[in-house]
This record gives sequence, C-alpha cells and structure tokens, in this order.
Amino acid sequence: MSRADRAKLIEIEKLVKTYRMGQESMNVLHDVDLTVYQGEFVAIVGPSGSGKSTMMNIIGCLDIASSGSYKLDGVEVKGQSDNKLAAIRNQKIGFIFQGFQLLPKLTAIENVELPLIYRGLAGRERRARAEEALRTVGLDDRMHHRPSELSGGQQQRVAIARALAGEPPILLADEPTGALDTRTGQEVLALMENLHRNGHTIVLITHDMEVAERAERIVRMKDGVLTEDDSGRRNRREAVASIPNGV
Amino acid sequence: MKLSQAFRMAFKSIWANKLRTALSMLGMLIGVATVIALVSMSEGSSRQVQSQVESLGAANMLQVTITGRGLTTSLTKEEALEFADIPNVEGVSPIVNGNATVKYGTTSESYTVEGITPEYESVREVGFVKGRYIVDLDNVNYSKVALIGANVATTLFESEDPLGKTIQLNGNRYLIVGILQTKGDSINGSADDKVLIPLTTAERLLQSNGVRSIYLKVDDMDKSEQVQALLEARLSAKFQNATNAYRVINQQEAMETVGSITQTMTSMMAGIALISLVVGGIGIMNIMLVSVTERTREIGIRKSLGAKRRDILLQFLVEAITISGLGGAFGIAIGYIASRIIGIVMSTETAVSLDMVWEAFAFSAGVGVIFGIFPANKAARLRPVDALRHD
Repeated sequence: MSRADRAKLIEIEKLVKTYRMGQESMNVLHDVDLTVYQGEFVAIVGPSGSGKSTMMNIIGCLDIASSGSYKLDGVEVKGQSDNKLAAIRNQKIGFIFQGFQLLPKLTAIENVELPLIYRGLAGRERRARAEEALRTVGLDDRMHHRPSELSGGQQQRVAIARALAGEPPILLADEPTGALDTRTGQEVLALMENLHRNGHTIVLITHDMEVAERAERIVRMKDGVLTEDDSGRRNRREAVASIPNGV
Repeated sequence: MKLSQAFRMAFKSIWANKLRTALSMLGMLIGVATVIALVSMSEGSSRQVQSQVESLGAANMLQVTITGRGLTTSLTKEEALEFADIPNVEGVSPIVNGNATVKYGTTSESYTVEGITPEYESVREVGFVKGRYIVDLDNVNYSKVALIGANVATTLFESEDPLGKTIQLNGNRYLIVGILQTKGDSINGSADDKVLIPLTTAERLLQSNGVRSIYLKVDDMDKSEQVQALLEARLSAKFQNATNAYRVINQQEAMETVGSITQTMTSMMAGIALISLVVGGIGIMNIMLVSVTERTREIGIRKSLGAKRRDILLQFLVEAITISGLGGAFGIAIGYIASRIIGIVMSTETAVSLDMVWEAFAFSAGVGVIFGIFPANKAARLRPVDALRHD
C-alpha cells in the first residue's frame, strides 16, 4: 500500500518555534516540514538540543508553534484555545513519556482511567476500557498495584495502556526506553512494534539511533532542521522481521 | 468532569495526606468551635436576661417617674388617675415609694415601701396569696394596713403566720392584712422584698407630696407609642418649662434595649471568633499553595491527558472546600460539646441553635471557596509543558 492512499494524520508545514530569552530570541525550529500517514511508525532522532523535544511538545499540542501550520487529523491546531487543545490531546494523542509520568497515589487501573475521566465517560465503561487496555499490554494481573509496586518495564506498560485507553489516532512516545535497562527497553519496543502491526500510528522521539532503527521510518533532527533521507526508510516487512521472537 | 468525580478525587488526595490535612483543618476547626461555644454562651445569657426582663411585668407597660420636687413639679394622686382617660390605657397605678425600716419583735430590716391604689394589682400584675388587698377605703381612711412580700414574711416572721400581726414602719404600727404572691427576681428589685401600704398613708409616712411614679397599662401593645406620645403631651402641659421633672419609660423599649445589648454582645463575640475563621482560611490557602507547587507535575500529567483548566480548578477548589468543610463539621461537634461542658461547669444556660450550626458550616465552606480560589487558579493556569518538566 502506498503512502498516498492513506490519510495524513500529521501535516506540518514551515513550522517555526522561537523562544524569547530576555532581549534575544532563539530559533529552535526552522521551517520544519513533516507529514505522518495513518499507520506509520516514525522515529524522530537527534542529539539533545536538536529541537526534538520542542517538536514533540508541538506535535503533542502541549506547546504552540510561533509560525507555520500544523494540522492534526485534518484540524489546524494553531490558534486554538487552551481548552480546545486539552480536548485535542485527550481525543487524538496518547502520550508515552520517558519518566512514565504515572500518578504515584493511583493504582494502575486508576492511572489508565484518567484520560477517560477527562473525556467524561461513565464509571463502568471507563473501567471496562481501562481493563481492556491493560490486557493489551499484558498487565491484567497487576491492575490494582500502585506504580511503586511495579517494575520500570511494568510502569512503562501501564503508561502505554493509559495512552491506548482513549483509542487515540496517534501514539506519541518520548524516549520510551530512556529510563529502562536494555532488556526491558527491548520489551517495550517490541510491544510498540506489536501495536504498530495492529494498525496504530506511532511517533517515537529518541536520541538513540538503535532505538530509532526499530521504526519503519526515520527522520533526523539537527539544530532545529529536519532531514529525511530515503535510507532512513525501511520497508514494512523488514521492520516486522526484526522483532525478536518470543515477545 | 463531573462534580462527584471531583469530590472522589479530593477525598482520595486528602486521605493520602492525612496528617497535613488534619493540621490545616485545625485552624478552621478551632475557629468554628470558638464561634459555636461563644455564641451559644451569649445566646444562653441573652435568654436569661430576656426572661428576667419579662418577669419585670408585662411588656405593655409605661412607667412615669416624677423626679421633681415642690408644688408645680409634682403630681397628685387624682391628677395621675386622670391619665386613665387616655385612649387605650387599661389601668393606671400611681405609686409613692421610699425606704423604711420594718420592725417586728426584735427583728428589723430596711425594705422598699410602696404606697399604692387597688389598681396596682392588675397593672403591675402582683397578686396576693393570703388575706386581702389594699382597697379604696384604706386610702380614704388613711388606714395603717400593709401587704408584705414573701421574702419580708420569711425574714420577719420565719415560720409564724404574719396575717393579723402588727409591724412597725419607721416606728408607726401597721396591721398586716395580706401576703403577696412570689414573683421572683427582676431588674427593678423583687416584689418579694416589698411592703405595700395605702397611697395616702404612704404620703404621710414617707413625707412625700404627690406620687413618685405612675404605671400605665396599655391594652394594645402596638399602641404603646401612641399612648406614650399623648402621655408626654399631658405631662409637658403640667410641668411647663421643666421637662426633666419627669421621665417616661416604655417597658417595651426597655426590653428592646436589653435585647439589643445582648444582640450586640453576641455579634461582637461572633465577630472576634470570625477572625479566627479567616486565619484558618489563610492556613488552608497556605497548604493549598504548597500542595499546588508540590503537585505541579501531577497537574502537568493531568493536563497532558486532556484535563481542561476548569477540571484542574475544580479539583483544587473542591479539595479546599472539603478540607474547610470537614474542619467546620468537626468544629461544630467540638463547639457543641464545649458549650455543654461550659454550661455545666459555669452553671449558665447555653443554647446551640440549628441556624447557628448551618451558618457556621456554610461559612467554613465559603472560606474554603474564597481561600481556595487563588491556589486553584494558580494550578489551573500552569502551562502543561512547564508543569511536566517540573520536578
């Protein structure tokens, strides 16, 4: 299936982000263009200070670009109110953060329920959906444990379940393996590949080329400029074949 | 997000920080307990005062006190009785009063002596239990007869029957013809400690020219001001250029004055206690601000998951209200217990009214809203990017 046949989920054109630091203004992103299609697994890779975190904040609607256009699922994000942005985050994006960002006082299932609470779902449906999401990541036996009672890998899986629970069109992962040891990192990546195979669109942000290699498509970020060479693109079959056995 | 969800969240967070919540509740709790205890005390004492004033006599009474001396500044009994034709006046009771040494056998004591007419019984509502009352004939004949109060009887006669006995008032012999009923304490001195004799006899005994005070009973309480105005007009016609020769006291007014004094006392006490509620509110605000800073990352996470400003605002506001409301509820309970203990220990009357409880609770919840708005708003306005990066 060619890319053109699929819907464009993310359409970024001439995006500029400028931070004001006292008198000086600093350009973090220069005229960035990026299009992500439905069902893609894209890695944005770059060293620290390259602007990839800013990129992720803007894609995740946590921050707003200074100029340029960003359409998410066909909707222009720029110029939306805070409340509207909150609603977009809730409906369209599933965040997977580096530090898991789970609420320590809530159990796994309560954490997974959070986005559904803000969506206004009733208790029973919320619970059912959260259970389903936890089952997907293989944590159905740990639902009522607090994050402190779970291993790092399990915590990240809870975070992934939380991202999945609202069934958003895009999963946005920021260094998902950053706080994990190599083996659990591999497990989490395998889980993400699995999700990708099941049709989820994933945008992965990392500084680690090895992690980025697991994606289907790689874009590089350096000094606020985004480049993409065809060598970064692997075909889908290859990507699937690289999944370790037994995960 | 629904309100019930917000309350559930608030309780969860409060339960997770039990000690801190309890400490920040303390200010509110002490404030409300103080309000309840103080107000219940003053409410109780105001009820006591109220009942004392009521025992003074009926509320529908006007009292004229003659303070002047000499011919033109005094009022004769006949002139006083003429006030009876003022509309709505039910009865007039002129009185000559003073002190006299009362002696029986070897016991002697100083008592208030009042020279009265038979109207005294109905106007002042002082009845008798034994013998007879002063009658008109006693006044005509200048009879030396006396009615004595219950306390006078027990002091002078102990267990003896005073009826038919003779006592000496400033050396003059008087026959006891009746005993007054017990009325209890009142601000004007107790009727139980009085000796009543005929008005004409009293004028001689106390060497008084004319009456000293006049009580008027008004048949309709709403008309008492009207009657008072007419009465004052008559008095000023009589005492020309000497307006301070007499004074008209409205019993109703006196009661209202006493009522307003206790009211002022109550609200003053409540006001002082309210200050402690405000202090308690500031304590809660403090804790909430700390809580917002401490939970900045939580706010960031919630916002990244789709919490709107309103959701965060509601969460923190409900938490503040819950803390202050719980503090208020515990304060009410402790204040109630304290007021009961104070009542027993100091053997005074205390009264906790349901209104007061509601007001205290509503006020404490209101304090939560007022002092919770600022921290909650601070939390709601955090930018998700900054909040997520916070650690």
